Amino acid sequence: MSAITLKINGKNIGPIEVREDLSMNDFLREVLGMTGTKFGCGAAQCLSCAVIVDDADGTSATMPTCTAPATSFDGKSIRTVEGHASNGQLTALQEAFIRHFAFQCGYCTAGFLNEAQVLLESLEHQPVSREALEQTILEALDGHLCRCTGYVRYHEAVRDVILSEPARYLL
Amino acid sequence: MNISRTRLNLACLFACLVLYATGLVASNTMAGSLPMTLASPEEFAGIADAKARSLALFDEIGKVLASPRCMNCHSANDRPRQGDSGRLHQPPVFRGPDGMGLPAMRCPICHLASNFDPARMPGNKPWLMAPREMVWEGKSLSQICVQMRDPELNGGKSLADLVHHIGDDKLVGWGWNPGIGRTPAPGTQEQAKALVQAWVDTGAACP
Repeated sequence: MSAITLKINGKNIGPIEVREDLSMNDFLREVLGMTGTKFGCGAAQCLSCAVIVDDADGTSATMPTCTAPATSFDGKSIRTVEGHASNGQLTALQEAFIRHFAFQCGYCTAGFLNEAQVLLESLEHQPVSREALEQTILEALDGHLCRCTGYVRYHEAVRDVILSEPARYLL
Repeated sequence: MNISRTRLNLACLFACLVLYATGLVASNTMAGSLPMTLASPEEFAGIADAKARSLALFDEIGKVLASPRCMNCHSANDRPRQGDSGRLHQPPVFRGPDGMGLPAMRCPICHLASNFDPARMPGNKPWLMAPREMVWEGKSLSQICVQMRDPELNGGKSLADLVHHIGDDKLVGWGWNPGIGRTPAPGTQEQAKALVQAWVDTGAACP
């Protein structure tokens, strides 16, 4: 057993004793009851389990939780799907997902939402040209699987959010 | 009706047994086809001719080079492979500018500092593909040897660098500690280093 401490959606969690073989996905879902993060393939192939990891240098990236031990998140700061909306107010990205009917069963949505959020934040620091935008979105969402095949609608929703604030995200 | 149903059940049972047995044979064949041990350099001392000894040493080293633990990341077309069968990596990932994947699918996102066996996820820090200069997939042992030996073809590595790479590199060493479900490279990293050193010392001959 090891004690881990981390920050989830801005809130300090722990120290909590966990087994070395406990996955981060089980830690979130079974220990903390945060079931917004899904368990899909169990092999880091669908990324429905991806959460956002915020590095100390100010950069962020998504990371699957089904294949990572909870202990590897000790000391980290992460964001999950539960942390996007604030006081019941959805983010522009969440609203765009709904407006575009991007998801059907919704199982992959948490992963897509986290990935798209990382993309938006990345574009704020490193904007791209309008011409490069489609490829940028494609590459960002590339690893996520949607068995309802909502890929085009997810893509359009993310594009809408970016184009609604071109000065913020585009060159 | 009852007799037909009984016959159908027996036929299904027989088919299941055949499939099960076939699967067992296939899996045993896969595991059994990979060498597990390495000879030591001393075992080649009886070969008087230095070039012949060097060739024999490289043939032994070839057991390590051909291991899926090495070959899967020395793969062609900028795509890593995985498993003992060397199937294409799933999810589909690509080399990227630094050998560690494309921006949204970087190797260390999944491959952490060590193996996580409950999820069968291999890990080491760093985790990356071999450089393009060292692609081995589809090449004969002879071609790999020529490529390894020539700094013009291997990305500027000297023979001493090769001994160090195979003998001391931590990621290469993972090949002997690959976690559950993967056959380790044969022998030990120390044995492999000794063989490469002996091959170099005898003139680094290529078949």
